[in-house]
Amino acid sequence: MSGPAGGALLSLAFLAIGLAVGYMAQRSRMCFVAGLRDWILVRDAELLLGLFAFVATVWLLCSVLGTLGLIHHGMPEFAAAPGGPRAASSGALPAAAGIFNRLFFTTLGGGFLMGALSVAVGGCVLRQHVLFAQGDGNAGFYLLGFYAAVPVFYLALSRLFAWVYG
Amino acid sequence: MRPRAYLKPWIFGLAAGTLFVLAEAVLPIYPPSAYAFCLSCHVRDLVDNIVNAIASTRFQTTEVGGRALLLTSPGLLIGAFLAARAHRETKPRRATRALAFALAGAAMMIMGIVIFGCPTRLALRAGYGDVYGIAGLLGLFAGITVTTLVSRRRAARGATKGEAR
Repeated sequence: MSGPAGGALLSLAFLAIGLAVGYMAQRSRMCFVAGLRDWILVRDAELLLGLFAFVATVWLLCSVLGTLGLIHHGMPEFAAAPGGPRAASSGALPAAAGIFNRLFFTTLGGGFLMGALSVAVGGCVLRQHVLFAQGDGNAGFYLLGFYAAVPVFYLALSRLFAWVYG
Repeated sequence: MRPRAYLKPWIFGLAAGTLFVLAEAVLPIYPPSAYAFCLSCHVRDLVDNIVNAIASTRFQTTEVGGRALLLTSPGLLIGAFLAARAHRETKPRRATRALAFALAGAAMMIMGIVIFGCPTRLALRAGYGDVYGIAGLLGLFAGITVTTLVSRRRAARGATKGEAR
């Protein structure tokens, strides 16, 4: 899948993944945050089971397909571009850095803030997409902020990124 | 009461997990690893591509993001809308806390860019065995637990005060 035609096909593949997941997420009310919240509040484990089923399925399939060389572990998020920002990786840091490095604690803290914020607004990003598709105005503003934050980040906050991965 | 044609969340987990892993096995959607689905990163790549085309900027995208438009988020909206329409579950509701929700969305994206993932991709990366994905998921669990317990305590306190009056 190379060249413009390959790019178009790949774009359609991502659109199809989004369509399938959107349809299933609406039918199941799946939320990656509400599961634990519901279990803590009312001991309802249904959504939490969805999260565990997801992680277990990914782990199992990755283990099987990984042995066949079909899964690509530890690939960098960004390639280093000449004159551009340095290569940044979520899973392939130099061994000398160890596990408990700045990235580890940033990821832990970032996950914490994501969890806290998602409980405050009543759902994860996936759920907010579904709620907006169902006509929820608040979720619409959530997505507006979500999309608008991208250029804002690159124009004003990219130093934060450099601090974590620099 | 659960609506008709309700899909059990564990079936969603099974189906979505299978879809994301098989997508990486059969499609050239790497690098990075575990990139079949992420709302933060895919939206970032999509917006970066659009802004780069319009304003001639050089906002960084992933290698996949440079080859294709990551239409996952628009696809998700369309898929969810079609499901809601088909089952008569569209309920237009006016925004009541527009600014708070917009700021929350922006904060989620900023954190998503920094730690490479929305909650769904953190779970996906954890399933891949990525240590940082597991760290993100543990942080997510901690954040959910603390906020839920704090809001429950606040709600209980509010109820007690209300009774006292």
